[in-house]
Amino acid sequence: MTMSFSLPLVKMQALHKSYGDGAIQVLKGIDIEMKPGDRVVVIGPSGGGKSTLLRVMMGLEQIDSGSISFDGKPYISSEAPAKKTLIDTNVRRSIGMVFQHYTLFPHLTVIQNLMLAPCKVRGEPKASAQARAQALLERFGLGAKARAYPAQLSGGQKQRVAIARALMLDPKLMLFDEVTSALDPELVSEVEQVIMQLASQNMPMMIVTHDMWFAKNIASRVIFCAGGVVVEDGPPEQVLGSPKEERTKEFIDRVFHIKQ
Amino acid sequence: MNYTFDFNSITFAPLLRGLVVSLELTVAANIIGVIAGFGLALLLMSPYRLLRMPFMLFVEFFRCTPAIVQIVWIFYCVPMLFDVFLDPITMGVLALGLNLTAFNAEAYRASIQAVPREQIDAGIALGLNPWQRILHIVFPTAFRASIPVLLTNGIVIFQQSALVAIVAIADLMYEAKSLATETYRPIETFTVVALIYFAVSFPVTQIVGFLERRRQLLAS
Repeated sequence: MTMSFSLPLVKMQALHKSYGDGAIQVLKGIDIEMKPGDRVVVIGPSGGGKSTLLRVMMGLEQIDSGSISFDGKPYISSEAPAKKTLIDTNVRRSIGMVFQHYTLFPHLTVIQNLMLAPCKVRGEPKASAQARAQALLERFGLGAKARAYPAQLSGGQKQRVAIARALMLDPKLMLFDEVTSALDPELVSEVEQVIMQLASQNMPMMIVTHDMWFAKNIASRVIFCAGGVVVEDGPPEQVLGSPKEERTKEFIDRVFHIKQ
Repeated sequence: MNYTFDFNSITFAPLLRGLVVSLELTVAANIIGVIAGFGLALLLMSPYRLLRMPFMLFVEFFRCTPAIVQIVWIFYCVPMLFDVFLDPITMGVLALGLNLTAFNAEAYRASIQAVPREQIDAGIALGLNPWQRILHIVFPTAFRASIPVLLTNGIVIFQQSALVAIVAIADLMYEAKSLATETYRPIETFTVVALIYFAVSFPVTQIVGFLERRRQLLAS
């Protein structure tokens, strides 16, 4: 194999993030390296910094210090004296994100939701964006909903549209932030199946979820995050099955206990 | 109650003439209010305090004084203070239009600020630049959300327009007062006038109610 295989896709270095002038520290020095093809599932207690981590990766949050690079290019860094977060938007465009609450644009139809970014950001011709959008919707079993408005869809359908919308920009990494947490239980699997489908095509992804079954099935690697630090990081069998760290074990026991 | 109503002496021609003037005032004031209100809302949200302040004062002036005082002030004080002499109808439109601008600006501002942070995050995640996010996400959502309030404000201005009668604009209220004096039938006249104001306003409030119910349905 070539050398580039071992190059990290994402490299986070000493990420620190706090709210209220350092009063509440959410990330206390996170170092994570992600290889191409990694499917990282981040688990951990609420307030442990999981969602913040994804939001920082997307450039939605300011950081106090640290840096993130993507494909060897640093795109998020912090300017030392002013603590101003610098974001390279060109690099960031390679990353797609799906949120807990769908965040579809309510005034646009499903297909317009998919077409907005490619047409406006990349200047793609309408006809081409429309064809790609329709094909993507068909693939996700939503072909018939192209002209519906978000309010006319179920939660599961909305979330699948949100995933399709992110894929329209051909991301090289997908971030999923608790994408099934707001769904009724019977709608969870249709969304998870779509993510599984992406996984089978080797899409690198980082997933924050509370669904341990899903974590077990999709992860190539599980990170247990608590108190703003990475407590444990390893293959799913280890972290979910026989964790080394006491805090991980405690959390896993509690979560699986609730499930049963 | 032993009053005998007699509607025979009520002539509708002057009342309809007055209604047309009232409607014209309302439409013109609404055109000003819907457009200028939006511009004012943007200025109210300026990050620069110094730029924001005079416009906040403008809004507070209209919110914190009675409409009748605003109308009288614009009619009598503006010409004397600034040497501007406009025909009464224009002054009426201006008075009502500026009042509506202030109230609509608040409606726009509230709905722009109510656009969920998540919607903007989604825009960032899709690579839209700040202008594209405002143009394609914030404004369309906010404008739709403000429509019920704009309609309510608009119909309130129709009712407020009755106040211009005191500065001799021949609107519905003015014509009603003349008719009441001529016919010695104030009870009949003002009953009819009340019904006319009601007949115009009621459908609009119903539309507002419908839009709000539909919004709640769509939001769920």
